[in-house]
Amino acid sequence: MNNSIIYIVDDDDSICKATSLLLKSNGFKVETFTRAADFLAFKHPKVPSCLLLDIRLPNINGFALQKIMAEQGIITPIIFMTGFGDIPMSVKAMKVGAIDFLPKPFTEKKLLDAITLALSNSKVQNTKQAEIAKIKGRIKTLSPRELEVFNFVARGMMNKNIASKRGTSLQTIKVHRGRVMQKMQAKTVTELIHLAQKAGITSSLD
Amino acid sequence: MKQANDIKEPLLKKIIPNNLEVQILRLTNELKVRKRQLKQGADREKLAKEIFRGRVSRGADREKQGANREKQGADREKQGADREKQGADREKQGAVREKLAKEKFRKQTDELEIKSGQVSQGVHREKQGAGREKLAEEQFRQQSDEIEIKDGQLKQGANREKLAEEQIHIRTKAMEATFDGIFIIDAKKPDFPIIYANPSFYSLTGFTKIEVIGKNYFLLYGEAENVHSSEEIKQTLLRGKPFQGEMLHYKKNGKKFWCLLRITLVRDKNGSITHYVGNKTDTTMMKQRDSEIKEQREELLHVTRVGKLAEFVSSLAHEISQPLTAILSYAQAAQRLIKDREPQLQEILQYIVNDDQRAAEVIRRLRYLLKKTKPAFEPIEINSLINDTVTLIMPDITARNKTVKFELVTNPPSICGDRIQLQQVLLNLISNSLEAMEGNKDSHELVIRTSHKDNDRIMVEVKDSGCGIPTENVKKLFTHFFTSKQDGLGMGLSISRSIVEAHGGHLEAKNNPVHGATFYFTIPITKKNDQ
Repeated sequence: MNNSIIYIVDDDDSICKATSLLLKSNGFKVETFTRAADFLAFKHPKVPSCLLLDIRLPNINGFALQKIMAEQGIITPIIFMTGFGDIPMSVKAMKVGAIDFLPKPFTEKKLLDAITLALSNSKVQNTKQAEIAKIKGRIKTLSPRELEVFNFVARGMMNKNIASKRGTSLQTIKVHRGRVMQKMQAKTVTELIHLAQKAGITSSLD
Repeated sequence: MKQANDIKEPLLKKIIPNNLEVQILRLTNELKVRKRQLKQGADREKLAKEIFRGRVSRGADREKQGANREKQGADREKQGADREKQGADREKQGAVREKLAKEKFRKQTDELEIKSGQVSQGVHREKQGAGREKLAEEQFRQQSDEIEIKDGQLKQGANREKLAEEQIHIRTKAMEATFDGIFIIDAKKPDFPIIYANPSFYSLTGFTKIEVIGKNYFLLYGEAENVHSSEEIKQTLLRGKPFQGEMLHYKKNGKKFWCLLRITLVRDKNGSITHYVGNKTDTTMMKQRDSEIKEQREELLHVTRVGKLAEFVSSLAHEISQPLTAILSYAQAAQRLIKDREPQLQEILQYIVNDDQRAAEVIRRLRYLLKKTKPAFEPIEINSLINDTVTLIMPDITARNKTVKFELVTNPPSICGDRIQLQQVLLNLISNSLEAMEGNKDSHELVIRTSHKDNDRIMVEVKDSGCGIPTENVKKLFTHFFTSKQDGLGMGLSISRSIVEAHGGHLEAKNNPVHGATFYFTIPITKKNDQ
């Protein structure tokens, strides 16, 4: 179907096998793990993916794994599964950013619906990540002085203000800014600020 | 012949008057003697009478007996008078006879000698009379001695009476001062009237003295009330047994109170029942406290039972939903794989899917039914919670001959939690500890300690001196269905842990360095902005 990968983490081997079989029969590529640590150790390819995660797991439970993933920058969307499906738990799961919450046992349809949503989410995330990576790559080409000017511009400072702050002439600033726009591939100042925001630079420094 | 006659005649003459004379003389003497005797007797009688009267009058004040003796004396006097009268009658008779004889034998009445034998006979009789008198005197002396002894006894009695009076005074005061309502029933009278009731009886029942004294105890409360217990009391008392029982009583104003009624029997020296003594104790306060504790225990037990069941069902649901999930996925995968082929197999697979979902639905509904109610969070003072909980389980602690030592931090900050759930945790830990100490006769003390874990948390520890936790069990302690007890369900500690975690705390266990184990949990302190 595509190059997406579905990860399953459940300490019950039977669940791993059955769900994997069901998804494979639907044309998905599947990786299963019975321990959270094994999933973390796995090298994740940069393709659209989603994680079917059981909440009750030995040692590192579902919520704990989610926290670790966020810390490690693993952006795979999560679908929680649980045999203890109750409302407070599902609310908690959704609050911490899960795509869906599936009480066991779940039907093929519910599973596929959740996965479809998760994968499209993953694609958007991946695109965004790729864009950010591109922008960050461009930022890396800036000289220290250009980076400094870029930061000031990103925070919405006027040229003359930057000049007075740095103690240089307005002309010099204008030259730096022109080079920054060129390297960042931005046609307008607005576009430059937008790129800075995407890269998460806006509120830094100071 | 003539001569013979001559001789004969005076001789006869001599003999005959002589005989008459002798007879007269004898009679006269006899009369004289008797007269003298009678007079003497009368004098003595009189004397005796006087003595007797004197003595009798002395004794009469104290002794009725004295009066009886006086009467006896009077009887004797009367007897004496009778004899005197008899004597007088005889004298009269004698006088008649004397007159007759005097007329007949005037001449021979001059000098006649009393025959010494007759005289001595008279003397002898006189002596006899004196002996009798002496005997009578002796009797009188004895009787007066007896009177004196009685007199002494009476004096002794009076002293004893004085002493007894003091004791009675103290006892009466004590009876009046006691908190219990005391009443005394006269058992000799047919209607069993109350003859005494102390002030507490009146304040306890609300009745006044006029309403109580002389009335039958059971009628006091009206016939309709407590018929059963009244009958029971009566039957017990009639069997000659003391009664004891706790029952609901009513005051005069209709207010209910619990009363411990005890009635004992008072017997005289012959063993027959003379009085009943009743003792009423107001046990309302104790009863209320008891029933409060009982209610709390029952509530907690109920919550625990429901909680256990819910937790049990929840665990069971999890265990079953795992394979159900796998079955469902396998069946649906198979459906996918043979899509558009094998219609019969497709149908069978659909049945598997349907039944799997049916089973899942049953579990869902069961779980919904036993859904735990949302815990009611409120500010709690941990020390008072511990005290309340220990009060609930105190009967168990006492029955097992154990003691609890409190080491509570002073003025702990309040925590936020569900009172009943936290009590459940404490109860669980305490009863586990008690069971752990069961086998060890040397370990009696259970320590409950509270302390500041850090600025944000309070720590509660339950430390026993029991058998400790086997190393291989330490990790499994808090998992569902794990138990080391013969009849345990393996839910207690896992529920306790989930309760503590729902409160934002942690429940752990460790073995003590020397004996036993400590279970301890932390609970976050309520922040000011949380409230």
